[in-house]
Amino acid sequence: MAIYIQSISQISIQEPLCDNWFENPIYHSQRYVPSIEPNYKQYINPMSSRRMGKILKRAVTTSLNVLHERKDNEIDAIITATGLGCIENTEKFLYSMLENNETLLTPTYFIQSTHNTISSQIALELKCNNYNSTYVHRGISFESALFDAFLQFKLNKITNALVGAHDEMTKDIFTLYDKIGYWKKGDICVETLRKSETLGSFSGEVAVSSFLSNEKNEDSICSLAGMNILHKPTKEKLEETLKRLLEENNLTLSDIDAVLVGHSGDKENDEVYSKTKENLFNDIPFVWYKHLFGESFSMSGLGFYVGATCLKKNIIPKHLVFDSPKEILNPKHILIYNHFQNSEHSFILLSKC
Amino acid sequence: MNDILVTAMGILTGLGLGKDETLQSLINQNSAIGELKHLNTIHSSLPVSEVRLSDKDMLSLLNYNPQNPLTRTTLLGMLALREALEQAKIDKDTPKRIAFISGTTVGGMEKNEEFYLEFFQNNSKDEYISLHDCAASTQDIADYFGGFDFITTISTACSSAANAIILGANLIKAGYVDIAVVGGTECLSKFHLNGFNTLMILDKEACKPFDKNRQGLNLGEGAAYIVLERMESAKERGVEPICKLSGYANTCDAFHQTASSPDGQGAFLSMKRALEDSGLSAEDIDYINAHGTGTDNNDSSEASAIKRVFGENPPYVSSTKSFTGHTTSAAGSVESVISILALKNNFIPANLNFQTPMEDVDLVPAQRTIQLPNIKHIMTNSFGFGGNDSSCIFSKII
Repeated sequence: MAIYIQSISQISIQEPLCDNWFENPIYHSQRYVPSIEPNYKQYINPMSSRRMGKILKRAVTTSLNVLHERKDNEIDAIITATGLGCIENTEKFLYSMLENNETLLTPTYFIQSTHNTISSQIALELKCNNYNSTYVHRGISFESALFDAFLQFKLNKITNALVGAHDEMTKDIFTLYDKIGYWKKGDICVETLRKSETLGSFSGEVAVSSFLSNEKNEDSICSLAGMNILHKPTKEKLEETLKRLLEENNLTLSDIDAVLVGHSGDKENDEVYSKTKENLFNDIPFVWYKHLFGESFSMSGLGFYVGATCLKKNIIPKHLVFDSPKEILNPKHILIYNHFQNSEHSFILLSKC
Repeated sequence: MNDILVTAMGILTGLGLGKDETLQSLINQNSAIGELKHLNTIHSSLPVSEVRLSDKDMLSLLNYNPQNPLTRTTLLGMLALREALEQAKIDKDTPKRIAFISGTTVGGMEKNEEFYLEFFQNNSKDEYISLHDCAASTQDIADYFGGFDFITTISTACSSAANAIILGANLIKAGYVDIAVVGGTECLSKFHLNGFNTLMILDKEACKPFDKNRQGLNLGEGAAYIVLERMESAKERGVEPICKLSGYANTCDAFHQTASSPDGQGAFLSMKRALEDSGLSAEDIDYINAHGTGTDNNDSSEASAIKRVFGENPPYVSSTKSFTGHTTSAAGSVESVISILALKNNFIPANLNFQTPMEDVDLVPAQRTIQLPNIKHIMTNSFGFGGNDSSCIFSKII
C-alpha cells in the first residue's frame, strides 16, 4: 500500500499559504515570533472567524487549502497533532476562574479549550463523520498523528487522510517555557543556532495540513514510504529500525540524499543529532528547518512540509543544508529524523514518486 | 489466531483500587458518587466520584519517592497500570515490543491551577511548569515502569481512552508492536469541574442516566489500562487471555463542539461500524455499556442511536457512570474494564437511580444487577466533546 502526499499547506513565521520561503526565507532575530497571518476571508466567513481563536482559524484555513473542494465525508480520517491545543482559550478560562474565585464564569472559552477542538472544528467545517483523533505528545505529536494514518492505510481502513499539526504560542506559555530553558536568552541569528553553544531555541508557531491518499495522480508531491517511532531506543535499536525501514523500500543508506533533522540551536537537543550522525549517517548531508520556523511542540509537522517541498521542487536549497554550503540537486529520498529530549525518536521516509 | 486479545487489566476509580473491589461494588450496587474530599473548590456541594486515596496515600502504595513532583493524574495512572502489568507479567525486561498509549485531556491542570499565578511571581514552583501538558503523565508513568518501546498520548476529550485502545489494536495488527498497553487517566480539577458547571450539565444529586428527570452528570476521576496482544504472544509468555477485542470504530458527530446531534449520527455510525468491524450482527450483542452521562442531550441522542442500530428491542443497556461518575478521559478504559468484568462474570451491571422512562425515546436501562447465564459479546460506547465518538466490542473467547 503506497501513500502519497497530495497537498500540503502552512501558516507559520514564514510567508503563509505559499512556498515563498523556499527562495526567499525570512531570517528572524527575535526569540518570540508570531505567525504571519494570511487573509482568512477566502476560507472562513467573518461571522465564524470572530468566534474562532488563532489556532482554529489557521487550522481550518490550512485544511481547506489542501482539500480544495473535497467535503461531505469524502475524507476518511482527520487526525491532528497539537502539543498544547487551544491554549489561549485554556488560559482565558483559567484566569477567569482564578481571578473570580470560581464564580461569574461563562462557558465560551471552556467549550473551545480542549485539544480536540481543532480536529472537531475541521470535521464541523467539512461535515465529516469519519475517523477523527488528536495526538498530544509534545515533540512527537505530529509523528503520532501521521503514524495513526499510516497504520490505517496499511490496514486498508482508509484511502485518504487529512493530517495536521497545530500549535499557537501565547505570551504566558512563552514566559513559562522561558523559565524552564526552552528559549535563548537574547536575540538569535542563524549562526548562533547552527553552533548550538547554549541551551534553548527561539519560539515559532505551527499550522500545517497535509492531504494523503493511496491514489497517485498528477498532484502527488511525493510518497510517504515508511516511518516508525521509538521510545528511548538504544543505539542498536535505532540502527536496526532504520535498516528495516530502508530494506522494506529496497533501499540502502547510500540512496538517502539528505537527513532532515530538528537541529534547533539548543545544545542538548542538537548533540543527539550529532551523535546519531556519527553512529548512523556518516557522510549523508543534514538538512535543517528550525532556523527558519523556530521551535514548538508540533514543529516536526513543518519539517514534514519542508521535506515534501524539496522533493516537489527537485532541489534542496543551500539555505537548508546544514553542514555544507551546497544545494542538493534532484533528491529522490529524504529521511526525516526527529527526536524529543532524547526520549522519543522517529524516522519518516519521503520518496519521489 | 489473529484475534487481538485482552490479557490483563488494571483499574482505579471511586469504586476502589483494582478489579476485585470494582467487581464487588458493581455486584453489590454500591455507587462511589458522594462528597468531595480532596479537591479544594467552592463547589464542594456538587456530588462527584472521587478516588478515596490522597496523593500521599498513592505514593505510599507505590512505595515511590520521586525526585520531581507528580500530578494526581499520573499517580492514578501508575496504580492502575501496575495492576495491569502485574497480571500481564510484563516488566521492563520483557523481550517484546511494547507500546504504552494513554488518553488524557486536562492533564496536569490540577497542579497548574494551584500554582499558575505564582509561576509568574517567583521561581519556587517552577518544577510544576512542565507538568501541565497532556504528555507529562504518560511520560512520567512510562519512566516509572520502564520497558516501553513506543509511547504516545491521545486527547479526544471523553473518548480519549477508547481511542488509545483503537490505536493499540492497529499497532499490533500492522505488526509494529507485539503488546499494547492502552487506556487513560484523569483526575478531578477545578478547571474541569467549573467548565462542566458553566455548561449547566452537573447534577446536584446522584446522576440518573436515561431517566426522564435526569439533571446532568457527576464528574469522576480514575484510571484504567488494558493489555492487548495476540494469542501467540500470550501463549509464549504464559499469560491467560481474558477475552478478545472483536471490533471497534471511531467516528465524528460533526454537529457541535459540545452538543450531540438529536439523532446521534456520530454515535449511530460508531456502533454500526464497530459491528461491521467485528463481523457480528446487532442481535449478537448481549449488553451495551452506554456512554450514558446523565445529561439531557447525551442520553436522548445516544438512546436514539441505539434504537437506530439495534431496532425496537435492543440488548440490555446500562450506564455505569451511575457508579463511577463520568471519569472523562479515562471513561473509555474504565468502562471497558467494567464491561469485561461483566462479560467474564456473566452479569449486567445496573444503571442506578433510574425511575421514569424518557418520553422522547423508548429505552429502559437495566435497573439492577442481572445475572445472565452466558454473555458472549458486549459493546461499550465512549463519546466526547467535539463529537468524538468511539465504540469497542469485547467478546468471550470460544
